[in-house]
Amino acid sequence: MIQNQFHFEKLYHEYKKLVFNVALNYLQNVEDAEEVTQDVFIKVYNSLENFNQKSAVKTWIYRITINQCLDFIKQKNSQKRFFIFGKKSQNEQEYLNTTTFEHPGILLENKEEAAILFEVINTLTENQKTAFLLSKLDGLSNPEISEIMQLSISSVESLVFRAKAALQEKLAEKYTNYRKKK
Amino acid sequence: MSMEKETWIESILNSTNGITQVVPSDDLFSKISQRIQQEAKVSSKTVWLVAASIAVLVIMNITVINSKSKSTKHSTTAYLEMTVNQSNQLYQ
Repeated sequence: MIQNQFHFEKLYHEYKKLVFNVALNYLQNVEDAEEVTQDVFIKVYNSLENFNQKSAVKTWIYRITINQCLDFIKQKNSQKRFFIFGKKSQNEQEYLNTTTFEHPGILLENKEEAAILFEVINTLTENQKTAFLLSKLDGLSNPEISEIMQLSISSVESLVFRAKAALQEKLAEKYTNYRKKK
Repeated sequence: MSMEKETWIESILNSTNGITQVVPSDDLFSKISQRIQQEAKVSSKTVWLVAASIAVLVIMNITVINSKSKSTKHSTTAYLEMTVNQSNQLYQ
């Protein structure tokens, strides 16, 4: 038990930044990212004994974090739907498109552009968004992403490619509005 | 696509370059430890309590249903006896 506790504390300090930043990029809200970070580490603590070492700890933690983020978004959307008695949405856009997000880790001169990018990222499908965020913001390689997402490398390549194409398309639409404002 | 448009799109796509990792708040670990302790407390006590109360509820329901069915049987036979006795004048 004490050894477990010690191991858990070590894991927390090693991976707290990773979990928090993945959650922050995914949820685009500091409070929600902290809540999900708590949930992730509680899950890690509870399944520490059953962890079979088949995958690397980092991959395992990445997987838990992404699943927890997706669950969090679904839960928020269902709460919202229940309140407004609305219909079910196809992706997580509903919860995420409420405010413009200013990422605290983005360079000051890029804040405005990054806010637009985060807004457009939310229009991607679940898998495209995950692959794009892991590739672009976490700087992971395609084999690493394929292990986390449990997909083939070629599927990840295609997801990242399609995500970029979709972002370019959405941004091209946004450009017209940007020009009008200017 | 015009050059200006392309440059703008590229600037948006590259806006996350040089991103730094954000550190979560210092008290996050104590919050997590607290929640783990709470969950551990809840799991042993509450599980037994909930199980016991469910068992009591089931037993109570079964006894009530049993006693109800007995009393209805009893009352119907009593009613029948009474009506038969009243209408059957031949045997009086």
